[in-house]
Amino acid sequence: MTQTSEQLYAEREQRFNDVVALKKPDRVPVMPLYVHNFPTLIKGIPDKVAGYDHELRWQSTKEATLRFGWNFAPTNDVLASDFFASFGCKQMMWAGEEGGLADDAPHQWVEDEYVKAGELADFVADPNGFTFSKIFPRMGSRLEGLGQIPLPPLYWFSNAYYLQVLGNMLGIPPLNEALRAFLAMADAQAKTNAANGKYLQEMKDLGYPPTWGAALMPAFDVVSDTFRSLRGSTLDMFRQPDTLLKAVDVMQEATIGLLHAAYAVTGIPRQFIPMHKGAGGFMSDEQFARFYWPTFKQLIEASIEAGITPMPLFEGDYTPRLEFLAELPPGKVAAHFDRIDRKRFKEVCGDVLCFWGNVPSSLLVTGTPQQVRDDVKELIDLFGETGLILDGPGGIPDQARPENVEALAEAVEEYGRL
Amino acid sequence: MSKELTDAIVGMDEAGAMRLVQAMLDAGADPSDVLEEAKAAMTVLGDKFECEEVFIPELIMGGEIMKGIADELKPRIKGEASGVSRGTVVLGTVAGDIHDIGKDVVVLMLDVNGYDVHDLGIDVPIEKFVAAIDELEPQVIGLSGLLTLAFDSMKATVEGIAAAGKRDQVRIMIGGSPVDEQVCAYTGADGWGRDAAAALRMAAEWTGGAA
Repeated sequence: MTQTSEQLYAEREQRFNDVVALKKPDRVPVMPLYVHNFPTLIKGIPDKVAGYDHELRWQSTKEATLRFGWNFAPTNDVLASDFFASFGCKQMMWAGEEGGLADDAPHQWVEDEYVKAGELADFVADPNGFTFSKIFPRMGSRLEGLGQIPLPPLYWFSNAYYLQVLGNMLGIPPLNEALRAFLAMADAQAKTNAANGKYLQEMKDLGYPPTWGAALMPAFDVVSDTFRSLRGSTLDMFRQPDTLLKAVDVMQEATIGLLHAAYAVTGIPRQFIPMHKGAGGFMSDEQFARFYWPTFKQLIEASIEAGITPMPLFEGDYTPRLEFLAELPPGKVAAHFDRIDRKRFKEVCGDVLCFWGNVPSSLLVTGTPQQVRDDVKELIDLFGETGLILDGPGGIPDQARPENVEALAEAVEEYGRL
Repeated sequence: MSKELTDAIVGMDEAGAMRLVQAMLDAGADPSDVLEEAKAAMTVLGDKFECEEVFIPELIMGGEIMKGIADELKPRIKGEASGVSRGTVVLGTVAGDIHDIGKDVVVLMLDVNGYDVHDLGIDVPIEKFVAAIDELEPQVIGLSGLLTLAFDSMKATVEGIAAAGKRDQVRIMIGGSPVDEQVCAYTGADGWGRDAAAALRMAAEWTGGAA
C-alpha cells in the first residue's frame, strides 16, 4: 500500500527520534547534517553561480535528497552571496565577488581580530553600543558610517521630540548609506528565504522533515571565531581570562534567547550546533572545562528543556573529550562526529549518545564505493543496534563522488535493515 | 641554561619571564645567550606538545612570550644571531583554500625548532610553490588545507612541481583535518599529518635530524 506523505513524514521523523533515543530503528537512516555545494557541483554548476542562484541550489538539494535516499531534507548551507555583497562584507570571501575566490571555492570566513584585546572589556560593558559603532563598521564597507558618526544610546530616542534627531542623523550620507545597506540585506535575504521556503514545502509534501531550523554556535566559538580569532582568544585565556569568560557569558545569554526565538519562528524542533575550538588539541582538558564546556553543556540542556533536539557537530577529534560528553543527558542529543575513535566512543558514550557520521571525506572524495560500503559496515556493526545515523564527517563533502554517496544508501540496504 | 627562565616560559608566566630576562641582563649576561636560552625553552614546549602534555594554546602563548623576549634582546645583539638552521621548509595553504590556523601552528613549531621557515600564505597558486623552490632551495614543502577541494589542489601542486622538473629536489608533506593516508596517496605527497607534531617529525626525518 502506498504511504501518504504525512505517513512518510511521520515515519522518517520517528526513525530519527528512535536513533536519538538509542532505540533500534527500522533501518539505519542516511542523513547529511547539511550540504553545501555537493548537489550543485554534481550538476556542473560552479559555486560562483550557486551562491547567487538560490532557487537553483535549493532545487538541486531536493534532487539530491531524492536521488541519494536521504531520510530528511537537508539544509543547503551554502551562504547567500548576494546577502554578503549587499553590505560590502569584509569578513567573508566567496566566488563571484570582485577579487574573490576561484569559481569552485565555497564561502570562507576570514578569521581576524575583529575585536581587539583591549576592546573586549568595552564589548562586555556595552554589548549593543559596541557592536553598533565598532563591529558593524568592521563587518561591511557600507556600514562604515556607523563608526564615523557618534550616535547617542538607543534609549535617548525614547520620545517623539528626540526621535526627530534620529531622523536628522539618518539623513547624513554615511548613516544613510548604512541604512540603505540594511534594506539591501533584507531584500537579499527575502530572495534566499523564498527559495528555501519553497524547498521546505515541496519536501514536506513529499514526506521529508527538515533537518534543522536554526544554527547556533556555542558562546565560546562565537567569541573566538568571530571576535578574537584563535590567536586572540588563546592569548585572552592567559592574559585576561575573566574578561574572556564575561564576553562568553554575554554571548551565552543571547544564544539561549535566540534558541527559543528561532524555535518559535520556525517550529522545527531540531537545532544545529557547529563546534570549533573545543576539539582535542585546541585546548587542554582543564582549559576546556573552564572556558568551553560549561556554556556548551548549558546550551544543550536549555535546548532539551525547550523541547528541541540539539544537533552538535563535534568538529575535529573529540576522542580526548569523551568523558565530558558522557555527562550529557542520555538519549536526547543527536551527536554528530567528524573524527573520533569509534570503539572508545562506544565504550564511554555508547549508552548516552547516538552516533551520527562519520564516513571520512577521504573515502567519499577519493575512495571507491566498496571502501565506503566497508566503512559503513564497520559503523553498522558497532552502532547499528544502538543508534546510528550515516553521514560524511560533517555533511556530504562538496567534492564527494556521486557513486560513493550512493554507496551509503546501498550499504544500508545490504547491512542496515535492522 | 637558566632553569628559572625555562620554567617561566614553559609555565606561561609571561611577566615572570620578562623579569628574569631583565635580571639576567642587569647581571651582565650576554643578550645572545639569553635569547638562546629562551629558544631552548620553546623546544621544551615543543617536546611537551608532541607528548600531548601541552596543546595549541601553550604553543601560541609561548610564541608570544618568545616574541616579547626577542623584541627586548635583539636591539642589544650586535650582528646576526648565530644559530644553525636545521633545514629550509616552504609552507602554504593550497589554491582555493584560505584556512590558515593549522598552517600557522606548523610554521611556529618549525620556527622555534630551528628551521628556516618560509610561509607563502593562503590560496597559494602552484607557480608560487615552484618559484619558491627555485629561490629558496628548500628540502621540504608543506601543503595545508581544510576543505575537500584542497585534495585536488594538493594533487595539482605536487604534479606542478613534478612538471617543473623539481620533484626530486623536495619532500612534500600535506596537512589538515581531513587529510589521511588515502589523501596522501591520492595527491602523490611523501607524507601526511594532522598536527604540528607530525609536521615536525617529517621535517626532522627528511632533513636528516632528530625531531
